Amino acid sequence: MAEETVILRCAGLRKRFGERLAVDGVGFTIASGETYGLLGPNGAGKTTTISMVCGLLRRDEGEVIVDGRGIDVGAAAAKAAIGYVPQDLAIYPDLTARENLRFFGRLYGLGGHELATRIGEVLEVIGLSDRAGERTEQFSGGMKRRLNIGIGLLHRPRLLVLDEPTVGVDPQSRNAILASVEQLSGEGMAILYTTHYMEEAERLCDRVGIIDEGRIRAEGTRRELVALVGQRDRVRLTASGNLGAAAAAAARLDGVAEASARDGAIDLIVTEARSLLPRLLETVAEAGVLVKSVEVVEPDLEAVFLHLTGKALRD
Amino acid sequence: MLRAALLIAAKDLRQRIRDRSAIILAGLAPFALGAIFGMLLGGADAFHTRYAIADLDHGPLATAFTDQVLGSLVDAGIADVDTFDSEATATQAVRDGKASAAIVIPAGFSADVQAGRAAEMRVVGASGASVSAQIARSLVGRFADEITAVQVSLATVFELRGVPPDPAVIAEMAGRAAAVQAPIVVAETGADAREMDLRTFYAASMAILFLFFATQSGVLSLIGERRQGTLARLLAAPIPPWVVLLGKSLGGFATGLVAMVMLIAASTLLLGARWGPPLEVGVVVVAAVVAAMGISTLVTTFARTEDQAGGWNAITAMTLAILGGSFFPLSQGPEVMASLSLVTPHAWFLRALHDLAGAQTTLLDVLPSVGVLLAMGAVTGTIGLARARGLVAGR
Repeated sequence: MAEETVILRCAGLRKRFGERLAVDGVGFTIASGETYGLLGPNGAGKTTTISMVCGLLRRDEGEVIVDGRGIDVGAAAAKAAIGYVPQDLAIYPDLTARENLRFFGRLYGLGGHELATRIGEVLEVIGLSDRAGERTEQFSGGMKRRLNIGIGLLHRPRLLVLDEPTVGVDPQSRNAILASVEQLSGEGMAILYTTHYMEEAERLCDRVGIIDEGRIRAEGTRRELVALVGQRDRVRLTASGNLGAAAAAAARLDGVAEASARDGAIDLIVTEARSLLPRLLETVAEAGVLVKSVEVVEPDLEAVFLHLTGKALRD
Repeated sequence: MLRAALLIAAKDLRQRIRDRSAIILAGLAPFALGAIFGMLLGGADAFHTRYAIADLDHGPLATAFTDQVLGSLVDAGIADVDTFDSEATATQAVRDGKASAAIVIPAGFSADVQAGRAAEMRVVGASGASVSAQIARSLVGRFADEITAVQVSLATVFELRGVPPDPAVIAEMAGRAAAVQAPIVVAETGADAREMDLRTFYAASMAILFLFFATQSGVLSLIGERRQGTLARLLAAPIPPWVVLLGKSLGGFATGLVAMVMLIAASTLLLGARWGPPLEVGVVVVAAVVAAMGISTLVTTFARTEDQAGGWNAITAMTLAILGGSFFPLSQGPEVMASLSLVTPHAWFLRALHDLAGAQTTLLDVLPSVGVLLAMGAVTGTIGLARARGLVAGR
C-alpha cells in the first residue's frame, strides 16, 4: 500500500476498563478508496477501537494517525477528517432531517451556500429529500439509519467510520445502506466498517480484521483469510453422461485436488473455484458430459472466525 | 469555538421550546401557580369590606365610634359603612350579603356608660366573612377597652388624691376621653415601603421556583444526549470537549432567561404584577438565573439518569423554595426561618425585588443581593461543571 494513499494508520491501541483489557494492541491501516472491516462478535472490542480512532475515548497506549494528523480526545482540528456514524441512532428526534443535517454541518464548519448544497446532495444520496422537513421521530428505523449515515457524510470526510450501521434495520434499508457504502468506497473514501455480520464484511470489505477479545486475530483479504484456514472450495456439477471419465479429466487440471463421480454428479475439491470454473466446465464438456447445474461452496469468514477463535461470530 | 458553543446552545433552546412538557414546567406552571396564589392571597393587598351600622343611641360615645373608629376605616379605603335605623334592618343586610358584619349600638349606650352602668355593643357577622366579622369584633372590643382603661386611670387618680371615686363622674370622663380624637394614628405606608405586593411576590416566588426546572436542562441534556447517542457524535466533531460543556451551559442559561422574561411579561400584563424598574430587575433576574443554573448543574451531576436528575432537582427546588420563603413571606415566619433562608437564592432574589419595590431604590441597593446570587452560581456552577467534565472527558 503506497504510503501517500494511507488515510488511517493506527498501531498498538490498548485500552483497559478496570481489570478488563478491552483492546489489546490493535493496529491496522486503511487506504483511500479501501473498505476495512472489523469483524467480531459483540464485546470483541470493535466499538472501543473505533472510539479511540475517532478521538472519543482516551487510549492507554498506541497511536492513531488520520490523514497525516494525530488523533486524540482533544485533537479538535484533526477530527474534521473523520465522518463518524455511531451504532446508536445519533440524531435528534425533535428536529427535522434537514435541521439535524444543518446542525451537524455547521458543527463541522460548513455554512451558507456550501452547507445548503451539501445538505441537498446528502438528502439525495440517503433518499430522504422528500421527507427532509419532517421531524425524525416520525421516521421508520431504516430512514433514521440512513439519516444517521448521512450526517457522517455531510462534510466529505477522508475517513468514514461506520459502527454496525445496519443493526436493527429491515432488509430493504440494509441493502440500500450497503449499496451506499459501496458507492462511497468507489468514490475514493476510506471506510472503517465494524460488523458482526459475516455477509456484510464479505460483500463490502477489501480487507477484514478478525477481532476477538480485544485482539486482531487475523487480517487480510477474504481470500487470504480463507487461505489461513486452509480450506478449499467444493464444487458439485450435476450432470449426465460419462461422469467417471469426466471426473478423471477434471482431476488432471491444475488446482483440482480431488474429483469423483457419484449420484449423477461430479464432486470436486479445488483451490479456487471462481477462476477454475470456466476451464473445468470446458473440460467436462469435452468429455461428453452435459452439465445441468453448478454449485460452488466456498469457505467463508464465519468458518475462518470459527477456526481462529473456536467460537461462532454470533456467540 | 464560541460559535460552536452558541450553535449547541441555540439547538438546545430550540429543542426546549418545542418540548411541550418543558414549556408547561418552565412557563405555564409557574404562571398558573403565581396567578392562583396571587388571587387567593393577593386580595389582602386590597382588603375591602362593608359594614352595616345601626346607631340607635346617637350619644357622644356612639358618635365617637361611628365617626372616628369606623370613619378611619372608610378614609383608609378598607371599609364602606352603611347606616341603618334599626337592628333588624342592619342584621337583614348581613343576611342578604350586603354587609360582612353589622354593628349595633343600642339606645342609651352612651348614657349607660357615662352612668357607670353595664352597656353593650353587638356585632353580627355574616357566615363566610369571618375575617371581616373578626375585624368588626376587634374594633368594638378595642373601643370598649379604651373606655375601661380611662375609667381605671381616673379611679386610680381619685384614689391617690384621697378622694372617694364617684363612678358616675369617672364614667362620664371616660366617655368624653373616648370621644376625643386619638392623638396618634397609624398611617398606611406609601410607595416608599420596600415590599412587593402579593401578586408580584407570588409571581416572583413561582418564577424562581420553576427557574430551577428550566436551568437544569443544560447539563441534564448532556445525560440525555449520552443516552440517545448524540453526545458521541458531538464529541467526534472538530471541537474540544469543553465547548460541548460550554454550549450546554449556555443553553441552560438561555432557557432559564427566556422562561423568566416570559413569566415577567405575562405576570405584568395579565396579573398586574409590578416587578420594578426594567434595568435593575434585569440584573437581578440574570443573577438569579446564574444561581439557579449553578445549583441545578451541581445537583444534576450526582445523577446517572435523566429521571434521577429530574427528581433530585425537583426536591432541591422545592426545599430551597420552602426555606427561601417562596410560599409565604418570611416576615410571617419564625426568626430562624429568616436566617435559614439566607442560604437560598430564593430569599436573595425576593429580597432584591422587595428592595426594588421602593420608589427611590437604585441598582446600588440591590447589588448585595445580586452579588450573593452570582457568588452562589459561581461556586456551585464551578463545582458542577468540574464534575460534569467527566461526561465529556472520553475516559
